[in-house]
Amino acid sequence: MLVGESIFGRSADAAELIGVMDDVGIEHAIVCPAKPPDYDLSGANEAVAEAVAAGAGRLTGIARVDPLLGDAACADLERALAGLGLRGLLLHPWEETFGIADRRVDLVVEVARRHDVPVIVAAGYPWLSEALQVGALARRFPDVTFVATNGLQLNISGLGQIDAELALARADNLLIQTTGVYREDFLENAVRRFGAHRVLYASSYPLLDPRLEIRRVQWASFSDVAATALLGNNAVEVFRLRSEPDEASVDEE
Amino acid sequence: MDTHLHVDDIPALGWKLDAAECVRRMDEAGIGRGVVMTIVDAPEINPQALDLVADACAAYPGRLEAFARIHPWYGHEAVGLLEQAFARGFKGLKLHPVSTLSHPASEDTLRLVRVAAEHHAPTLFHCGDEPLATPYAVAHAAAACPQATIILGHMGGYFHVDEAIEVAEQHDNVVLESSAMPYPEKIRKAVERIGASRVLYASDGPACSPRIEVEKVRLAGLAADAERLVFAGNAVRLLDAVS
Repeated sequence: MLVGESIFGRSADAAELIGVMDDVGIEHAIVCPAKPPDYDLSGANEAVAEAVAAGAGRLTGIARVDPLLGDAACADLERALAGLGLRGLLLHPWEETFGIADRRVDLVVEVARRHDVPVIVAAGYPWLSEALQVGALARRFPDVTFVATNGLQLNISGLGQIDAELALARADNLLIQTTGVYREDFLENAVRRFGAHRVLYASSYPLLDPRLEIRRVQWASFSDVAATALLGNNAVEVFRLRSEPDEASVDEE
Repeated sequence: MDTHLHVDDIPALGWKLDAAECVRRMDEAGIGRGVVMTIVDAPEINPQALDLVADACAAYPGRLEAFARIHPWYGHEAVGLLEQAFARGFKGLKLHPVSTLSHPASEDTLRLVRVAAEHHAPTLFHCGDEPLATPYAVAHAAAACPQATIILGHMGGYFHVDEAIEVAEQHDNVVLESSAMPYPEKIRKAVERIGASRVLYASDGPACSPRIEVEKVRLAGLAADAERLVFAGNAVRLLDAVS
């Protein structure tokens, strides 16, 4: 889920997120900064920390930096992880306009690696975060867990599926979220081929509607064990949440 | 009525979509009738594409209707195939500008759209985020053939939905089709701006879930009469008009 004022006009605060979570039956959410109107990601990270504090233990915060800012981005990330208590890194190549496979990204991923936290990548955007580009980054950091949004693809013809599967096949540390993935057979094949531990439910609220997004997992042909993993246990593992919630409980990004 | 389902066997993509699976998925979602089409086109790369669709419909009379997917590059042969399709009871034309590398405003494409219009049949364009298939590109076909009913399949995909609604506002002969695009609230916005009579439910099944796509329309929160039009009334009206 995304928290904070967004330059794109779809904003949500902690109270709204908790309300939406209650409506859908979500116990815990991973929250990332929206792109703020003033472009100040450092301030947006602070706002996430405030949202987590206001979230009654139901929100876990992720930091966001622009890797093109180099050392300043690394310093911001250090402060967010060590000082603000955030638990991962969001890279958004589309909104910050950088190529995810660009070597300059390595600097901030190295910071995440040192802190042993996962990296969420806004994936599937043409030219900047295509599946194989995300896969290339993941292979450079085999000891970092990467979580790609949108099933690694944003293609309404289904023509992104093969690249997504190739990327998943070549990087065991690359996982996908279910956000906006309209091809149910892609999600089912991903679980069958790569394992349920590689797929996580997410909604990207307020961009997408959690009431619909959660059905992509609940109504697909998954075993109960797999569905429970997608809906919560995988996120507990990846984000090291303290207590393991019951099923249908964790909403990422 | 689900106005966008597929039957085909594409080993290169690992996609095997058959009529029985379409009907099973329709039953799961409470859908009475569906419109099926292939993934690739006639006469190339599948010369038997029309037979495949006709056989699917014959296996499920009253449940499945047919759209002909024709490759615009094949000139008179393509027109002949489309005429054959209507003679066999097909109800519309499906065009995928990406897979055929055919711009919606190209003369090859418009020739087929005009033939469909002569039969009072709609033309369903794949309409998403890719070059050749954006709403503004398909709008050129709508403007060039005002007598044709143009359906924007996926109503713009992930990033072109607002443009699809805008195009429908500008062209009375444009209809929006809801499959795959992920935003329930955009369906409501479309109904508010162009009216419920020009918005169609569809799933792009059976690989996509018709049940989830039904849920998406329900989450749009339409008035009951508007929802009935989107789920069935509009599609029945369009298909019943085909001669």
